[in-house]
Amino acid sequence: MKKFMTLLACCCFASSALASEAKLEAVKVGVDLQTVARGVDAVMNSCHSCHSLKYIKYHDLVNLGIDKSVVDTWRGDQPMDSAMLAQMSESDAVQAYGKAPPDLSLMAKARDGGASYVYSYLLGYYITPEGMSGNHIYPATKMPDILGISGITDEAGRAEAQGKARDIVSFLAWAADPDEQTRHKLGYYVLGYLFVLTFLLYLVKNQVWSKLK
Amino acid sequence: MPNRIIKWIDQRFPLTSFVKHELTGYPTPRNLSYWWNFGFLAGFVLMLQVATGIFLAMHYKADVALSFDSIQHIMRDVNYGWLLRYMHSTGASAFFFVIFVHMARTLYYGSYRAPRELLWWTGQGLLLLLMATAFMGYLLPWGQMSFWGATVITNLFQATPFYGEQVVIWLRGDYTVGDATLSRFFALHYLFPFIIIGAVIVHLVALHSVKSSNPSGIDLAAKDNIPFHPYFTIKDLYGLGLFLMVYCVFVFFMPNSLIEPANNIPANPMQTPNHIVPEWYFLPFYAILRSVPNMVGGVVAMGLSVMMFAFMPFLDRSRIPGGAHYRPIYRLQFYLFMLDMLVLGYVGYVPPTSQTMLIGQIATLCYFASFFLVPFISKVEERWLIKRGLPPQLMALMESESAGIAKRKLKPQRRKGDMA
Ligand code: HEC
Ligand code: HEM
Repeated sequence: MKKFMTLLACCCFASSALASEAKLEAVKVGVDLQTVARGVDAVMNSCHSCHSLKYIKYHDLVNLGIDKSVVDTWRGDQPMDSAMLAQMSESDAVQAYGKAPPDLSLMAKARDGGASYVYSYLLGYYITPEGMSGNHIYPATKMPDILGISGITDEAGRAEAQGKARDIVSFLAWAADPDEQTRHKLGYYVLGYLFVLTFLLYLVKNQVWSKLK
Repeated sequence: MPNRIIKWIDQRFPLTSFVKHELTGYPTPRNLSYWWNFGFLAGFVLMLQVATGIFLAMHYKADVALSFDSIQHIMRDVNYGWLLRYMHSTGASAFFFVIFVHMARTLYYGSYRAPRELLWWTGQGLLLLLMATAFMGYLLPWGQMSFWGATVITNLFQATPFYGEQVVIWLRGDYTVGDATLSRFFALHYLFPFIIIGAVIVHLVALHSVKSSNPSGIDLAAKDNIPFHPYFTIKDLYGLGLFLMVYCVFVFFMPNSLIEPANNIPANPMQTPNHIVPEWYFLPFYAILRSVPNMVGGVVAMGLSVMMFAFMPFLDRSRIPGGAHYRPIYRLQFYLFMLDMLVLGYVGYVPPTSQTMLIGQIATLCYFASFFLVPFISKVEERWLIKRGLPPQLMALMESESAGIAKRKLKPQRRKGDMA
């Protein structure tokens, strides 16, 4: 028994030792249409030049509730059901940055920490003492500081950048899991139904078993 | 009209008598606890996996260039495709959870002992089939973890004596995990569940020949057995309701907690993820694999760790009935074993450091020790318990049981007559 206690103690110690990696800033993504709509707008303006969202089609945005005329300006002469491909070609991006920018459709679920990872990454840029650009979350990243967070010194500017990052991440969370709201809603019905059904089964079970003496 | 049809069938096929004997009238110990619900639940989850799997297969493409996209097609374009996929991916975890509880129940109550050895071994076979099925299914979404998990595990077959290299290529159908591997894994992932169904039938035939064990560990007198229907049909349905509630919490509210984030990145053979982890249900065995510094040794240890359960009927020498119920030392050993599994699972999950390596090695030793010490502990424990004095009715039962076993050993052919 003592052996196992020491083992358990070791486990606790080991898990606290692990937690010392770069800390993510937790973010609670917005699910309301306004936030997500601001997020698409920011992504179209700041990210779409380099990044694709190949699993999202323009008409998905219209179905989501974004104004059709706005979507029309984004898609230009591409058809409504074409995927949101990046404006820059992959080979150009590799030439410019040394690495192809990854597709963002699933980004909010594709890293440990999910949306919080992307949020912390976007806000993680800083200027090193040598005057170089660094990132706390992904130190060797080839992506430039898109939100310009490393140049912001005042609180108001920082808050604005955080708000924008949250909008972006909220949209990316939607893009990664567009049916989440439907799923939750259906989930409540299913659980409610199961709860009633199980309760009734419990009553029937008691009744059937009460015949046994 | 239905009665006439049934009568017509009964004259040509033992329908009513089969249903009466094996289903509704099957005599079941009345004292079964809720731990006995998990066998039925395993069967239910199997059906759920087959049903969702067949519909997924209608939209899935087994091709390295298409499979990742086809999963997204299922998730986004197919009507309720996300539900199918989340039910299936959550169902795999649910399956292992249910099976692990089912096995723990058997270990705790000693239901693997005579005359249920064959039943236990068919269960062991089912575990292996389930593991193979889940492992192959996990490759299908063709994400980073799919690819690297399959690469790591197929690579282990390098440990095969003399033909290691060839066996790995033979399994993959190529020098690396690729299109050939994906296609064959899909074909086999489709096939194996049906083999599992066949094995489940064998499992049930064995069960119905030796009958269910029960928490007292003693074969009950006929009056303590009650018909399966309606008592256990309703109890199983009630348990199913409870199970479905937990399952649906995962399916509807946290399905992604069971999918590794890196599996949302398409497979990339050029880029190894910094930390390859298997699904949670393989973690304890994975930890054992990593605990042995030598690869062949690790593979042998891992294979043995899964197969150890099969030796339990030989290892447990105690004649005290009732599994852990009347056996305090065995009970303690059981709980320590559960704890050891959790430690191993944790060690398998975290990136290896010298510290977790050491913990893993100690836990691996404890794992095997908990099996290999069973013969000695069970003998000593039995002597101690008898000296201390068992309840008289238990002693009487032990005597009649060992007489029964001796009889069977003397004249195995008598068994058939005994049963009838
Ligand atoms: C100038 C082109 C460019 C723009 C604009 C751009 N990115 Fe990137 N992004 C990249 C490149 C290049 C990478 C690859 C970085 C690497 O892996 O080193 C990348 C990588 C990423 C990653 C993945 C980081 C990781 O962990 O691998 C995320 C998330 C990301 N970008 C989000 C965004 C968001 C959100 C925006 C809009 C606010 C954006 N990017 C705008 C070029 C760009
Ligand atoms: C024993 C029962 C089964 C188990 C334990 C099982 C397990 C799994 C697992 C772990 C995955 C990967 C899930 C993911 O991460 O997305 C998977 C995928 C898949 N399985 Fe199964 N499966 C079973 C039965 C079946 C059957 C009977 C079929 C079809 C006839 C099937 C078809 C598929 C398909 C098409 C996929 C790819 C889609 C996807 O990844 O969601 N499965 N399975």
